[in-house]
Amino acid sequence: MEVKTIQFAVRNNNNLFKLELFKTLLHFTEFDFTYFWERCIGAGREAKKSGRLPMSNISNAKSVISGAHPYIEALINDDFSDIVIDCIIEYICHSERIGTEELWVRCISPKNLYEEAIFNRISRYKTGKAVNQWNNVIRLREYAQNKLSFIYDCDEDGGKSVPQGKEVLRTRKDYFDLAYSMAANELGIVGENLPSVRVSSSALTANAAFINAKVSKAIYRRFADALKLGGDLSVPEGKDCTLVKDKFAMDAYSFVRNMKRPGEIDMKFAMEALADSAAEVYFPDSFKAAIDLEFDLIMKNGIEVRKCDSCGRYFAAYDDSFLCERVNSSGMTCRQQFDSLKAAIAEAAGQLQSAEGGGENHEEEEKKPEVIPQELEKRGQKIYNALYKRVGKAMDEKEFREWSRYLSDMKRNIKMGEATVSQLEEFLNYSDRLCAEVKAAVKSKTPQKAEFHYPEESPKEAAAEPNPAESDPEMAHIHVPIREEEVPIEIIKASSGASVEVKPFRPMTFDTAADAFIAGAIADEEKAKRKPVEIKTPQWERLTREEAYGRQDGEST
Amino acid sequence: MNFINENAALNGLADYIIKSGVCLYNSVKYIYSLAENEFYSVNIKDALKIILNNVPETDGLRALGLRIDDYTCREMQGEEYNRVLPLMVFSLAVRIPVLKNVKNGEDTMTDDQLYRLYTAVLDKGAENYRDIITETFLETKYLVRKGKKLPPFTADWYKSYIYSSVPALSEITNKNMFLLGFVDVLFAMFYSCAEDGLARKLLEYADEAPERENDE
Repeated sequence: MEVKTIQFAVRNNNNLFKLELFKTLLHFTEFDFTYFWERCIGAGREAKKSGRLPMSNISNAKSVISGAHPYIEALINDDFSDIVIDCIIEYICHSERIGTEELWVRCISPKNLYEEAIFNRISRYKTGKAVNQWNNVIRLREYAQNKLSFIYDCDEDGGKSVPQGKEVLRTRKDYFDLAYSMAANELGIVGENLPSVRVSSSALTANAAFINAKVSKAIYRRFADALKLGGDLSVPEGKDCTLVKDKFAMDAYSFVRNMKRPGEIDMKFAMEALADSAAEVYFPDSFKAAIDLEFDLIMKNGIEVRKCDSCGRYFAAYDDSFLCERVNSSGMTCRQQFDSLKAAIAEAAGQLQSAEGGGENHEEEEKKPEVIPQELEKRGQKIYNALYKRVGKAMDEKEFREWSRYLSDMKRNIKMGEATVSQLEEFLNYSDRLCAEVKAAVKSKTPQKAEFHYPEESPKEAAAEPNPAESDPEMAHIHVPIREEEVPIEIIKASSGASVEVKPFRPMTFDTAADAFIAGAIADEEKAKRKPVEIKTPQWERLTREEAYGRQDGEST
Repeated sequence: MNFINENAALNGLADYIIKSGVCLYNSVKYIYSLAENEFYSVNIKDALKIILNNVPETDGLRALGLRIDDYTCREMQGEEYNRVLPLMVFSLAVRIPVLKNVKNGEDTMTDDQLYRLYTAVLDKGAENYRDIITETFLETKYLVRKGKKLPPFTADWYKSYIYSSVPALSEITNKNMFLLGFVDVLFAMFYSCAEDGLARKLLEYADEAPERENDE
């Protein structure tokens, strides 16, 4: 995909700089400033010892941060020339938990060049002649990241990313910008003090005469005599000339107004010289303006920006995919990785189908919340009351609380669709048995407690089930949770001196849905292999009352 | 007071007084230049902090973006205003007798030493041009000897000189009104710091003497 590039100019610099749309923004938002930060801290420590800033470290750090954005590169010897000392100031203030004002007072009588540099820099902050550019860069990066996220993050529709239309994206961007403008307005920051971008042809930029030096010289030669008579019309620095710009422009134009079109040779020379100049040159007056300009032009040029579903990074898309083409830690691009994963899943599904023999489709059951029947609620409450009465007798408080928490968790899970009513029923059955044990323990008036055996530990059939991994060598690689050997329920008698340990109820857990699916499939397979239990119709024999109760004839009831 | 080299000590103290006078002179100019373009960007409190913490240096004010040049201080370019510098040094010189109160143990400067310091400062250029400054060395010496309080160090003589001799600064303009307002504060605060600095300097010279004697 072709990268669109624009040219921009900055003040106090006669060069034009290139900015690759979206690529620059992405690079800036993902730039790792750690190396720069470490360099600055190192320079600060060295300066503290020697009393002067190590210039080699500083130039090294500056070259590192120049790579973050072309705007920083363009002004690295101007606005950003002191970014290293800014970083050091920030570090000192942060580490010593002091403000810049306090640091300024500390350095007010500088003892060495290092302190003087800090003092001079903070003085410039105080007089509004500079800002802490390190802070500025970090804040602007956050701004760019937030704006990127605000505009291009997808609304998820059923877990799937959906591309947004251009109108939606434009509206999001305008909304974001408007929010900032509104805040600035409410805070009384007037428009002319806020960042802005000027656009002009390369011949009308502020430094046009220097940017197009060859042609400018040729023109100057034509009007040199007249211009010498013009004198100096420069105005003192700081004077507001907003309302007299046209006057200045026409004063300047008056010296060349009789200009006629140059001869063919001169025109050809000008054509050659100006051939490479950009049709549009942007003049952002601040870093934020440069970032906003890029956002505007990304949208204007129809560059589709998306967030990768796999790595979460933004990329310029050229089809409907939400996966980027960047190589990640696996050595593949996110798209390749997804494709290979898809292939692996398809292969595994094929293997499963062949293992099942019939190729039945096992659709994952959807989790549906169920309503707990009233009778189960009552039953649970009854057991609760029964156990509650016996807390401290045959059951200690901790155990009771554990049991109670398990019951409430179970109920909540049913409501969320994570558990079923049958599981609750199973738990209540178990609780009934537990309650019986507790009651028995109380009756025997012993301080011993009942031992808990949670439902999943108790099914006796499960103990007899063969482990598929053991029985089938082909399935050996599949991890199947093995149920622990069951321990029959026993009532602890007064004579029993065994300590009672409470084990929480643990349902079967699986790392992935695939594990659960495989385990379920194997369990079904085992069930299928098992011989069906023959259900015999009971042969009822009618007994007399005497036979049933073993009474002898003549005994009274 | 004992000095290892009395002449060098007195010369050093005289230099300090001269430098302090120059510092005051430049400080006035720097703050005056503030009214040109930096009125809303430079906090005068910051400027005063820098001046008072760095007597007798004023270079720190450049950090605030203040510049003394032909444009920002154009009203102070005349020959008449240049006379202010020797006057300022003289205003400090007449207060030399207060050094009598600075003690190194029980040791203080003798009247002879004080007078020699005073003449050294005058030799370096201090001058009471047109007798603008009404205070005298002898008057101060008398007050110190009697233990009486000295009159405050004010900018009254400076203002009367401006009104009488520097018409460009006596015009009613925003800048000039600002000048005549801040000098009152600056002179009083500046003298306090300059006096402390001079006392420290004196003790530095005096401190050297006993150590050397012990060494011998």
